[in-house]
Amino acid sequence: MTAATLATPELNGDLSAAGVAFDLSDTNGAATSRDTEFERDALPWLDDVYRFALSLTRDESDADDVVQETFLRAYRSWHTFIPGTDCRRWLFTICRNVFLRSRERQRPTVDLEDGEQDAVAAGSVYAAARERGYDDIYARLDLAPALRDAVDELAEPFRSAVILVDVEDMSYETAAQVMGVPIGTVRSRLFRGRRLLQERLLTVAEDMGFVTSAEAAR
Amino acid sequence: MTTSTRARLEGLGLSASCVEVMQHLWDFLDEEITPDSARRLGAHMKECEHCRNYSDYQSCFFDALAKLKANLDAPSELRDKLASTLKREGCGCWDKARKS
Repeated sequence: MTAATLATPELNGDLSAAGVAFDLSDTNGAATSRDTEFERDALPWLDDVYRFALSLTRDESDADDVVQETFLRAYRSWHTFIPGTDCRRWLFTICRNVFLRSRERQRPTVDLEDGEQDAVAAGSVYAAARERGYDDIYARLDLAPALRDAVDELAEPFRSAVILVDVEDMSYETAAQVMGVPIGTVRSRLFRGRRLLQERLLTVAEDMGFVTSAEAAR
Repeated sequence: MTTSTRARLEGLGLSASCVEVMQHLWDFLDEEITPDSARRLGAHMKECEHCRNYSDYQSCFFDALAKLKANLDAPSELRDKLASTLKREGCGCWDKARKS
């Protein structure tokens, strides 16, 4: 993806449709007000939006493009932001839409019957870890690089749910609004993502030749 | 959860309360559970070492995930590019996109 592909007719279309083009010829006072609000409410979330974009694109250059497009779109459409509401959520929603449009995809749909199946399956992962003496791997190993890789390898819908809830600390409800899906779907995707990550990390620990506490004591 | 799954878990020596913790611990840790359910799970975990250990394990996993947030800020090059983009757009606060 290039910046050129993102500086788009689609955006111009959005502008026309929203009448935002007229904002560019607003009075100085209105423009100043918009700038002040944009600086105060939107720009502080730049790091957060970048992290989310990076998790979606898995590519720094693509993430840069998505972030620029997100903030440009946010600035042009600032009149649609409702003051006092959650600006980070609003920006994340734009970011996700920019990403999905850049991939020329519809929002992916994943049918999961029941998040509890994954929750219970994670219990089985824990049981396996405990049997092998690996139940303290998170405390004893620096798994950050492996965890980052494992998150990157997750399929998109699961990755977004994990990033929004576990990394960005959003509630299920807020994440659902960002992803444009019901809360139950966020929960299912989140639980599947967590289970897959825990399975992956257990494998990584084994591959790293992780020595258990019991073995170390011998 | 199906009856057979529940029976299999209980066959592993887990009580019905342990199975309930396994099903809902993530909701509990996410604070996405009703106060009554939270009290019930909390009361069981207070008494059950297995479930406490499982809760600690999952909490450590969450801590590891939350730490991914550190050291992943927007690069200064991106901030510069965004500042230029906003400046072209006529944004009066374009320079604030840069790290102060």
